[in-house]
Formats: sequence, C-alpha cells, structure tokens
Amino acid sequence: MAYVATRGGERAIEQSERLFREEMGGFDRQRVEEVKKSLPYLIDRVMGEASLYDEDLAALALAQTGGELYEAVLLLRAWRTTQPRLQVAEPIEQDTLFTHRRISAAFKDIPGGQVLGPTLDYAHRILATDVLQGEGYAPEPVEPAANPSPAYQPSVSAWQAENDLLEQPTPDGTTGNDIPDLTREPLLFPSKRAHTLQSLARAETGGVLALGYAAMRGYGQAHPTVNELRLAEAEIAVTHPDGRQFSAGRVKVSQAEVVDKKGEKLGIGYAATLGWNEVKCISAATLDLNSPGAEKGSATEEEFFLYHTEGVESSGFCIHFKLPHYVTFQSSLDAMRDAKAKKAEQSKSSDMEPAE
Amino acid sequence: MSLSTLTKPWEAMSYGFLDGSAKRELRRKMLKSVAVPGCQTPYASREVPMARGWGTGGLQVSLTLVNPQTRVKVIDQGADDSVNAASIRRFISRVAGTPTTMDTLEADLIQSRHRIPEEILREDQVLVLQVPNPEPLRPVQPNMSIARQMHADADYGRMWLQLYEQIVRSGRVMQGASYPSLVHGRHVMTPSPIPRWDVPKLHMAKHLTILSAGREKRIFAVPPYTKVEPLVFSDVPYKVEEHGHLTCTRSGATGFFMNEIPQDDGSSAFEVSDSEWGVKTIRARDGEGESRGETWYKDGEMSE
Repeated sequence: MAYVATRGGERAIEQSERLFREEMGGFDRQRVEEVKKSLPYLIDRVMGEASLYDEDLAALALAQTGGELYEAVLLLRAWRTTQPRLQVAEPIEQDTLFTHRRISAAFKDIPGGQVLGPTLDYAHRILATDVLQGEGYAPEPVEPAANPSPAYQPSVSAWQAENDLLEQPTPDGTTGNDIPDLTREPLLFPSKRAHTLQSLARAETGGVLALGYAAMRGYGQAHPTVNELRLAEAEIAVTHPDGRQFSAGRVKVSQAEVVDKKGEKLGIGYAATLGWNEVKCISAATLDLNSPGAEKGSATEEEFFLYHTEGVESSGFCIHFKLPHYVTFQSSLDAMRDAKAKKAEQSKSSDMEPAE
Repeated sequence: MSLSTLTKPWEAMSYGFLDGSAKRELRRKMLKSVAVPGCQTPYASREVPMARGWGTGGLQVSLTLVNPQTRVKVIDQGADDSVNAASIRRFISRVAGTPTTMDTLEADLIQSRHRIPEEILREDQVLVLQVPNPEPLRPVQPNMSIARQMHADADYGRMWLQLYEQIVRSGRVMQGASYPSLVHGRHVMTPSPIPRWDVPKLHMAKHLTILSAGREKRIFAVPPYTKVEPLVFSDVPYKVEEHGHLTCTRSGATGFFMNEIPQDDGSSAFEVSDSEWGVKTIRARDGEGESRGETWYKDGEMSE
C-alpha cells in the first residue's frame, strides 16, 4: 500500500516516550521516598497546584516526570478527578490551626507575637559549593525557646475587626456538598466566592506571581501590606455516617491576608493553599485584594487572572502549538494569496473606481 | 447495610477512564447542547491523562459516548496516522476496549481535529470535533462574560463589522479556518478550525456533530438536519479554498481539500488531506477493489 510510509505515527510516539524515560532510567519506591524527604517545598507546590494533598503521590508524580512540573501536576489532577468525593471536611477557622509560622508586616508586634517559624527569609543565599568538594552539610540544631509561642491564634484581621479597623466578610454558612466545587463545576463569572478561592488555591505559582507582581508594581488599584502570613497544619475533621466526628489527619496549609489603606477602613484580600506556599499566597491575596471594581480586561479583574493562572490549562495550550496546524495554515494561505492576486489585478487597471 | 454493599471491588480506573459523575454531567450537557443548537454550554471538563489543548474536550465526549462495540476513528488535520490522533485512538481503545478503524464509513464515532472527512456521514454516525476556542466573538470581545451576554442578546453587529472591515481592507473576507456560522438561525458558533471547505458539510447534515472545548470548558452541538450558515453578505458569496482543481500527487484524486507540500524547486505538490480517502483512491487505482463512499464534493463542487 502506497501510504504505508506515512503510517509511522504510532511507533514514533512510543519511541519518543522511551527516549524521554531513558534519561531518568527506572525508579522505585526508594526514589519516591527520597524525593518526598528531600524536596518538601517542591512537594508542597505540586500538591497546591494539583489541589491534592498526598505527599507520596506528589513525590511519585515528580519522580515519574523527572521534575517536569506541569506534567507532574497534570498527572495528579488527572488521577484526582477520577476519585470519588467521599466526605466533605468541617470548615476550618484560623484559631484552630496548629501554627508554625505567623508574621505580620502591619504591626511591630501582634497578639501572640511574631512567630518566625521555618524560613529562609534572613538566610544569606550562598551556594554550598563545599558539598561538591565532598564535604557533608549538616544543619545546626534548633534551640527550642524557653517559652514556646502559643500554637493556636486567631487571625490578625479578627483583631482588626474587633477594633473597627476593617469589615469582616459575612460568614458563608454553606456546608458539605452544597459548597460550590470548582473541580466538579465550570468557573463562570461573576465567580462564586468559593470558586475564586479554590481557583487561586490551585493556580500555577509562577502565573499568580506574575500577575500579582504586576498589581504590586502599580498595575493594580491597591498596594498590599501583609497583614498576616501563616504556615500551619490543619486538622481534617470529618463526620462518620454514624454521626461521630473524627480527625482524618493533619495537612499543611498556608494563608495570607493582605490589606490596603485607601478608605476609612482596611480592605482585605485573602488566599490559602494546601502546602506551604508563601509566594503564591501573598500574590494570590494581592490579586484578590485588587479585584473588586477592577476594569474588565485588566490583569486584576477576576476573569483575567483566574483564567490565566490555571496552570494545567495554560501549559497545555502552550504546548499544543507543537501539534500540526497545516490545515488551518492552508486555509489562511488560500485567503492571503487570493487577496494578493486581487490587489495585483487592481493596480494593473489604470483607472481606479471610487469606493461604493 | 455494610460497607461492602456500598462499594465495588477496587479497580485501577473506571470504564472509559471518566467516573460516573463526570459522564453523567457530560450526557446532560450534551443533551442541552442538542436542544439549543450552536449554544455554548459550560461544563466542568475534568482533567484527562492528556494535556489541555490536545483534544481533551473531544476525548471526554468520546469517552462518554463509547461502549465496547463502538467503532472509533480518530483524525488530526485529516490524517489517521498523525501522532496525536494515534495517541488518542490508542488511549480510547485502551480504556474503553473499543474497536478502531480508519475507514470513515465503518466508524460509529469519529473524533477529529480540524477536518470533516470527505465521505458523507450517515444518521447513525457521530462526529466529535475538538475545539481550541469555542467563542466566535473572541476576536471582537475577549471577555467571556460580556461575550456570553452578547450571545444571549444575539448581538452580532461587531462580528459583521469585522467581516466588512476585512473586505474593505483586503478585498475579501480574510477568515481562514473557523469560519463563524449561524446555527439554526439563532446562535453564531465557530465550527472549530475546520477549513471553509468543510463548513457546508455541517449544513443540514444527517449526522450529529458535537463540538467540545476541554480547556475552555464549553460544549455545543449541531444536531442532524440543522441549518448552518456561514456569515456572509448577500453580495459577497461564501468562498471555500480554491482546491477544487487540484490533484493529489500520490493518489491522483482530484477535487478535494489538499495539503500543500513545498518542493525543492520552489513549486508545490499537493496531497489529499483526508488520508483515508487517499488510501481508498490508491486501492481503487491499483485494482484492489472499490471502497469509496459518496462524497460531499463532486468534481470539486459541493453537491446540494
């Protein structure tokens, strides 16, 4: 059959995947464990973007994709979406979070104190090249404080609301399966509050940063002050069919409150994610802060930033341009050539007719 | 009641990959799209094990519609052997156990990116078109909430204006593929980036066409025997690509949509874009039997 030569597609794609995998070689449970242990912040980022809290699966996805982050997140999302929704956990309030780190840039000190917790913020960023010379790297041991800081704290905004500095949003009493779920419904605009927060929680970190940074630099209406940034662990409380409530474990969460100082009261923007993702939370909260009243089509308008920070969709569409487009190209080429021929013909005839 | 009566034995994945609730939603949204032809219906659009923009919308529809007897054909730019078509076909068959085919006439369900096959589709066949951008108003209104309102109001003035401006600037409508078309006299839709050549095939077609955009989470449909009219001014007729006179250098087929293959000497050769049509033409030429069905275009002209 004369067309046989063009039927190579199936074999070629199989071999191309083999080539990709050849570089990393095989992997096993041990490598997954190593990834999980050595790269907790990468795991957190991936879990946040995948909106799936499972350190083992996140580490597996990273090992399986060689650290191609978009691929790892897609793997997890595609797995996640096939899983049944067995239970909806009880809502979590800030004062129930087991807090590791809680800082505020708005006040020198806050009730409960500035708790620095784990951070590289004040580290000197010097590459430990000694390690490559064969030296080991062992971190200095942590010296526990004489008085441990209280583990449970309300949010800074709760204190501000008490002092009439800001208007707390009206609590949303929706519970259980009535809570809008972005993973089971399309995002429509004006967006439901739950959808906005869910969408920011699983947004692509770099994308949220880019748009959030644009708002911070002056393309937004509000300049953020970090009211509270928190890294914590949240208890997942679920209700057994027999009515008893129990803990299904703890998950790492991060949240940011940012405020503006424009009116008589503080305006507030909020974001929270699974895993400890500080840059993402601050950027997302900044977008949230800037979104009310933002001009349509501006980077701080919710339709703009929610659509364009969806990592699985944006990265997928970006790489889809590698697919052949010759039919559409041919179609445009035909119109271009025809228009060109028409123009040439027109300039040949000396007396131009006036436009109708 | 015990836990075992509520659960099923563990399986690595559901039949056809998508779980029951995802399929149920898709069925409902498909019915809605059929009921309101050309109107974009939002749907959740689950992630599938393929990147967004690579046919995930079409794939979700196909996975919902198939059963183990459904014979599936997948094409990309007209070709069954294109790498992504091969990948999608392999995936559907792997998770749904469907038989596959390259023959348009044998297929029960055809998932396609950017082409409609040259052979006339029947009432018992379903065409699933992959859609990158479901919004025909995007060039004149990038904001989706405003565009949605415009559809509700049948406010298509800017669409017409855009076509008019192209005629004034370039002497013709410059829209290549994805030619905006009015469905059932009410909704303007994009027929997906099929060439202008293929749009008339949708008009009063016998088959059901479902168009699905996975990344943009919109689904719409052209039910059988529904009017699909490209937006044209009464004095500037609709023009398909001038391919009617071209001959395929491989198969000798004339009068079909062609791929242009640039040659070393600066000229162009052409080969028929519908690869299976090319194969069938070659078979007939080489005396291996006639397997070609009726085509929409005859001698390079769309037949009525």
